[in-house]
Amino acid sequence: MRLSLRTTSLIITLGLFATSASFAGGSAEQGKRKAETCLGCHGVPSYTNVYPTYHVPRLGGQHADYIVTALKGYQSGERSHGTMQAQASGMSEEDMADIGAYFQSLQ
Amino acid sequence: MKKLFINVVVGLFVVVAAPSFASEESHESGHDAAPAKSGAEVAMQCVACHGEDGNSPTPNFPRIAGQHADYMFNSLKSYENGDRKNPIMAGIVAALSEEEMKNVAAFFASQNGLSVVNIDDESKH
Repeated sequence: MRLSLRTTSLIITLGLFATSASFAGGSAEQGKRKAETCLGCHGVPSYTNVYPTYHVPRLGGQHADYIVTALKGYQSGERSHGTMQAQASGMSEEDMADIGAYFQSLQ
Repeated sequence: MKKLFINVVVGLFVVVAAPSFASEESHESGHDAAPAKSGAEVAMQCVACHGEDGNSPTPNFPRIAGQHADYMFNSLKSYENGDRKNPIMAGIVAALSEEEMKNVAAFFASQNGLSVVNIDDESKH
């Protein structure tokens, strides 16, 4: 298969866009809707995890990129936490970026 | 009278000095050779990535200012036991005692930074 130079450069450009969008391009507005489930735990002051007991992390103002990294870690199983793995399992990269953008916007 | 005085001095020496010998011994045999560092002291190792006050300027490194201390302590323990995998963090926690983990977690928890997203506030928007 031979691709013309134009097609090849178009593919590369689209690829670059897709890569950057997955990190920085999340929509906080979309994220607000998608993060409703998150707030069941992360939106309750003094809410605690059990076994072991500790406060669920504060996410207001957290970096979007870090949230995406964390969610990907749960999705791949690299980071272990039953509830978070279940939450992340059905998320697309776009979902993660949107949710990350939403939490980052809450400073 | 002189003998009594000597006895008292020797007795006092044993009472005062013995516990410190004992504690030095336990420090040497235990994991922690030195006394635990304070949170601010341990934090010197964290600031290059997590920012001077825990508000990391780098998007890939989490902000930890204002994070719950018990959550951060649990994270540090998870890096130590391998539940959470990150080569940088694993290297850092390897040198920390449990007390130092608690100290540094309390230090960053006390800084101004992250907030809880309050559902009640959100629903008013």
